[in-house]
Amino acid sequence: MLKMTHLSKVYRTEVVETYALRDFNIDVKEGEFVAVTGPSGSGKTTFLTIAGLLETFTGGTYHLDNIEVSQLDDNARSKIRNEKIGFIFQAFNLIPDLNVFDNVEVPLRYRGMKAPERKERIMGALERVGLASRAKHYPAELSGGQQQRVAIARALAGSPRLLLADEPTGNLDTQMARGVMELLEEIHREGATIVMVTHDPELAARAQRNVHIIDGQVVDLAEDPRFHAHVVEARQGQGRS
Amino acid sequence: MDIQIRPILVALRRHKAGTLLIALQIALTLAIVCNAFFIIHQRLANLSQASGVDEGDVFVIANYWADVNRSTEQVDAQVRADLIALRQLPAVLDTTPASGYPLRGGGWDNFVTMTPDQVKPTTDAAVYTGDEHFIDTLGLNLVAGRNFRPDEVTAMGTQQAITPSTAIVSKALAERLFPGGNALGKSFYAMGTTPSTIIGIVDPLHRQGVDSWSNSYAGQALIWPLRADDSKGIYYIVRARPGQLAAAMRDAPKALYAQNRMRIIDPKDGIQSYAEIRHRVYDSDRGMVILMSVISVVLLAITAAGIVGLTSFWVGQRRKQIGVRRALGARQRDILSYFLTENLLITGGGVLLGLLLAIGTNLWLMLRFASQPMPMVYLVVGVLLLLLLGQGAVFAPALRASRVPPVEATRSV
Repeated sequence: MLKMTHLSKVYRTEVVETYALRDFNIDVKEGEFVAVTGPSGSGKTTFLTIAGLLETFTGGTYHLDNIEVSQLDDNARSKIRNEKIGFIFQAFNLIPDLNVFDNVEVPLRYRGMKAPERKERIMGALERVGLASRAKHYPAELSGGQQQRVAIARALAGSPRLLLADEPTGNLDTQMARGVMELLEEIHREGATIVMVTHDPELAARAQRNVHIIDGQVVDLAEDPRFHAHVVEARQGQGRS
Repeated sequence: MDIQIRPILVALRRHKAGTLLIALQIALTLAIVCNAFFIIHQRLANLSQASGVDEGDVFVIANYWADVNRSTEQVDAQVRADLIALRQLPAVLDTTPASGYPLRGGGWDNFVTMTPDQVKPTTDAAVYTGDEHFIDTLGLNLVAGRNFRPDEVTAMGTQQAITPSTAIVSKALAERLFPGGNALGKSFYAMGTTPSTIIGIVDPLHRQGVDSWSNSYAGQALIWPLRADDSKGIYYIVRARPGQLAAAMRDAPKALYAQNRMRIIDPKDGIQSYAEIRHRVYDSDRGMVILMSVISVVLLAITAAGIVGLTSFWVGQRRKQIGVRRALGARQRDILSYFLTENLLITGGGVLLGLLLAIGTNLWLMLRFASQPMPMVYLVVGVLLLLLLGQGAVFAPALRASRVPPVEATRSV
């Protein structure tokens, strides 16, 4: 479903080159639920933005649903984002001027879907996340957990092949986070492929597989000394606090 | 391209202040610009109105008598002597005495009736007086009938009211008096109970006035075979030989002063070519054209700037939202189309209100300043102009918006 091979992402300025991802390799099979973890600045978000075709990469190859995406133009990338990928952002990223129904409708309109089908999918997705009764509400009228559920409904409405979640519970309290996580697990059980970036080891533990990124590379947790260094660093930090 | 009208309208409802202000600005601009264009077109039409005079070779001398106590006979003798003196000049082709001339800016008008006891006049006409040289001197186009004979020309002194039995009329007046029929040989009444018989028809011949209220009568004029020997003064209309206008204008006053010095010809504007006459009489029209053009351009520029400003602000404000839309599958042209459609809706709303305001303003101008009803074409042109202006003004900020990368969705504000 998602395969990156020797992928690199370099940010260049006049004087310095910064590798956000270097010789990055990952292979996510269809139907997997993968949690991507790693310390701040390790490249998790860069991985997610490249995986979601929000950004281009510098080198290597990336196959999404068996399509090599590096040569695709902006329109083709938009079409893949629209049809194959569902995004769940940490900050929900709902459009504040639109109500719940219209927010969920946004990607369906860009797909050129007819109104009756749009309505059916929107209401189906909202029922799926338990918010069908809030269709006419605006984001500001909902709790954080409800907003994230709307975002999940928006991601689900288009029946994407891949769900990309960037810290989906990062802005939620524990109870709301649990609810959202249970929803993602339920979606996964129904066959969806999910890649979730998270800081939270508890959430990561609930995924089928964990991929750890350090310094822009996927590492084997058991063997990589950098992981142990990060663990020690983290523990020392906890001790200080 | 998916035109997302409903969601855009929904979103606009949540930005009422900016939307209403721009729509109102567009409405006012449309109302003013439509009426301004109408006024400009009317005034430009005035500027190019045909006088009927062969203006390139004709000039007018405003001759005032220094001795105002002379009898009509004495004045008439002097006028005839002056005409002979002028006609003898090598640069002069012909000349005629006159009480007024086309585009003078005002002068003798009379009501015209079909019967002597008619209470309500049939119409109104400018009255010109001149001798048998009037038509040739002005270069008028005699389209039917004949010119005056010398024996038909009579002298008319101060305070006298002579109605000649013959008249030459403009085609517009002939058709107004005798619609669909041949006016030659027919009579009308314009002063008293003596009828004037139409012996010739010229086309065109403009009135002396150029004011807007007389526009509907602009082409109606009559010429009587009279030497208007007013004791105060007289106009000499002079036709120079081709290419000798300057020489004729220079020599004519010298010839008149040589004939008799008891006269006043203002050295500043006592002798005016027809180019000067036309320029002077349409001064206010030209001024109005310039004023209305400046107002229109400034208003359109301010409106365009307002649209650019508001859209740029909205693009900046919605950068993250645009990124989210791109992440969800919007192509660059979808974003471009979003902002163009949004502007079209705002401008469309403004234009609808503007149409009402434009019609209202025109009605007010009609009531207050006797303006004419504005033809629909001005509204259509105004609407199209505003819609195009809106789309043009929004294009650059909309293009900037379309270039917001989808990764913007993941950036924290």
